[in-house]
Amino acid sequence: MNSTVTLTPNFFSGAGRQTSLLRLLRNKFLTGLCIFLSLLTLIPLLSIIILLLQKGMPLLGPNLFTQLPPAPGQDGGGFGNAVVGTLAMVGISLIFSVPLGIFAAVYVNEYAPVSNLASAVRFVAKLLTGIPSIICGVFAFAAIVMTTHKFSALAGGIALSILILPTILLTAEQALMGVPYAYREASFGVGATPFQTIWRIVLPEASPAMMTGIMLAVARASGETAPVLFTALFSYNWIHSLMEPTASLSVLIFNFAALPYSHHVAMAWTASLVLVTLVTVTNVAAQVIFRPKHQ
Amino acid sequence: MHAEPSRPHTLTSFTAELDQLRSSVLRISSLTRINLENAIKGLFERDDDWCNNSIADDEEIDLLEMQIDREGIEVMSRFQPVASDLREVISSIKIGANVERVADQAVNIARRARKLNEHPELPELHLLDEMIKFSFEMFDDAVRAFAERNGELAKGIKPRDKELDRLNRKLTETLVNKMQDDSKNLPGYLNLIFIGRCLERIGDHCSNIAEDIVFAVHAKDIRHLAQANKSA
Amino acid sequence: MIPTYNTPPLPLTNDFVPGESNFIQVKDFNFYYGKKQALHGITLEIPSRQVTAFIGPSGCGKSTLLRNFNRMNELIPGVRHEGDITIHGTSIYDPSVEIIALRRRIGMVFQKSNPFPMSIYENIVYPLRIAGQKDRSVLDETVERCLRSAALWEEAKDRLHDSALGLSGGQMQRLCIARAVASRPEILLMDEPCSALDPIATAKVEELIVELKKDFTIVIVTHNMQQASRVSELTAFFYLGNLVEFDDTKKIFTNPSQKQTEEYITGRFG
Repeated sequence: MNSTVTLTPNFFSGAGRQTSLLRLLRNKFLTGLCIFLSLLTLIPLLSIIILLLQKGMPLLGPNLFTQLPPAPGQDGGGFGNAVVGTLAMVGISLIFSVPLGIFAAVYVNEYAPVSNLASAVRFVAKLLTGIPSIICGVFAFAAIVMTTHKFSALAGGIALSILILPTILLTAEQALMGVPYAYREASFGVGATPFQTIWRIVLPEASPAMMTGIMLAVARASGETAPVLFTALFSYNWIHSLMEPTASLSVLIFNFAALPYSHHVAMAWTASLVLVTLVTVTNVAAQVIFRPKHQ
Repeated sequence: MHAEPSRPHTLTSFTAELDQLRSSVLRISSLTRINLENAIKGLFERDDDWCNNSIADDEEIDLLEMQIDREGIEVMSRFQPVASDLREVISSIKIGANVERVADQAVNIARRARKLNEHPELPELHLLDEMIKFSFEMFDDAVRAFAERNGELAKGIKPRDKELDRLNRKLTETLVNKMQDDSKNLPGYLNLIFIGRCLERIGDHCSNIAEDIVFAVHAKDIRHLAQANKSA
Repeated sequence: MIPTYNTPPLPLTNDFVPGESNFIQVKDFNFYYGKKQALHGITLEIPSRQVTAFIGPSGCGKSTLLRNFNRMNELIPGVRHEGDITIHGTSIYDPSVEIIALRRRIGMVFQKSNPFPMSIYENIVYPLRIAGQKDRSVLDETVERCLRSAALWEEAKDRLHDSALGLSGGQMQRLCIARAVASRPEILLMDEPCSALDPIATAKVEELIVELKKDFTIVIVTHNMQQASRVSELTAFFYLGNLVEFDDTKKIFTNPSQKQTEEYITGRFG
């Protein structure tokens, strides 16, 4: 680059101050700073990934998914029941929160967008997105565990559903808002009821975005520890019913990482790797599969 | 510049209205031609009925001229024609007016014929033959040039008007000489001179029609070329 | 499983009542968006099987009035009206008239074409499906009939099951017209249907409108006066929510009675 850019008088000469060395250097410096700081943000992420791979790879094997956790002091084993437990509880949470979230979003966005109820629902949902996950656990403990006198997968699932419900509701509402009003107008114009319009036009059009929101919620719920910690407790056995203490990956990691046995600590690392992989794959799948189809 | 408009408009009503305007112009032209024919028939066959037909039928032609104006204005206000369409509409309106004037000349000829029929036949009547044939051919060619959108044919009409003027001058001269020799038939000779004048005017109007056709087809204004050349 | 509304599936035979059956009467109609009055005492009669155009500057209320004919304005909260609108003698605000039924008898085409994100076929049969029609042969016949009416059959017949969003702008608008006539409405409302189209597409749609008026009563709102003069038989000129003049199109565009009309048409407004 030239040190001082001098221009022969031409059409653009009158357009402003000549470019100076100082300006160019300042520009370069700030650009470089932005690039550097962006790279810096990748460091925590990359360090975690590298660490997980390093520590978690040794024990990786198919036996992890077929065998039960080893008792403290033992060797071998796996965490198949924890994987199943996590899936089960996430499943339960979806059963509760998806219909609730979507129908609430449909009401808030389609039927009564400017009503007091809609404003209240939105306000509360936004508030709840910030709720500490342990509070969800405490609530489920009081509501389910205390009344049923049992620690259970159901309680864990419900705790998770409270956690993800606001997210699902808000992303569903966003998805619905993303559907152009023109479609609804056209539908009403030919004499459809609001329900028909929602069912036939709006929901199908919004479902890619909704599914993305749901899968992101799934990814989050799979990894939460606090809500399931004292609702579902833990178990060293395969799951028989939903009303008994159930293992989950996050609690397994929590328990095993603190044990003085190196094998269990290693298992915790491997479980972490599996959990992160699960979350990442779900996230990526959500973005890829539910890409908007038309131009 | 296309002599023939290539395709109908997407809006078929536009094409239909333009066609309607054209057919009105053709209709007024054919009615005028009939009136001219009738007037001349009345003149040569010395039959006042033909003359009266000619005069009476002029009313229809007058109404048709007004209709052409109306239709033209409606096309312009409804469809905002441009380019060749616009030229065609404007020319059609002007041609309608010119044809109506030709029809007025037919009426004048018919009236003069009626006067001539009151007196014995004049052999000098046949001095008009050449002018009649010439002017009628000019009219027919003008109408044909309009119908076919034939700019070349139209261009050829203007010089013929000069020839017609020359024929008229010759006729007038001959008749003036006759008048000096034979004062008994003076009124008759005067009527013949007037008829000659009518025929000459018909030629002028045909020339105007030709100018309008050339404008519509070739977008060229060939009027007043002498002045244009002088100022150029 | 999907509830059908109280109206039975529409009779899809060719026997809708001609003549007086579809004329619209507006009687002393006032309309308010909240506190703002958008229409002042509008009174006019729209005859059947003709094209009536509403013209006027922006904000004059022409679209507002149009959208009241099928009560689409009621999708906006806070609106109210005074006066009446009747179609074939029945007030559209009569308690016995269901809005859904009303909208099925009136087709609407919007300014920006809005085909559903479905196939061309599904777009056109949508009005029938929501009315409960399932018979495949009826649906097929409707698709062909509507596409032919919209002058789109030749272009679309080989790709009926392709996405409607793959059509060009002009084709999409004609598809919307096809969809609007699917349930055999008697009245077609068009809110600036050509304003988003290029001249060739516009000409095709205008030709279509002139064809359609043989079977439908058409009311078209347009800010393009020349379009009104090309396609309509009657024109209504609105200004600031008032009906200034309503007369034969020929008269309005050659010799309007009101000075305001003349000023607007000749471009002396503002």
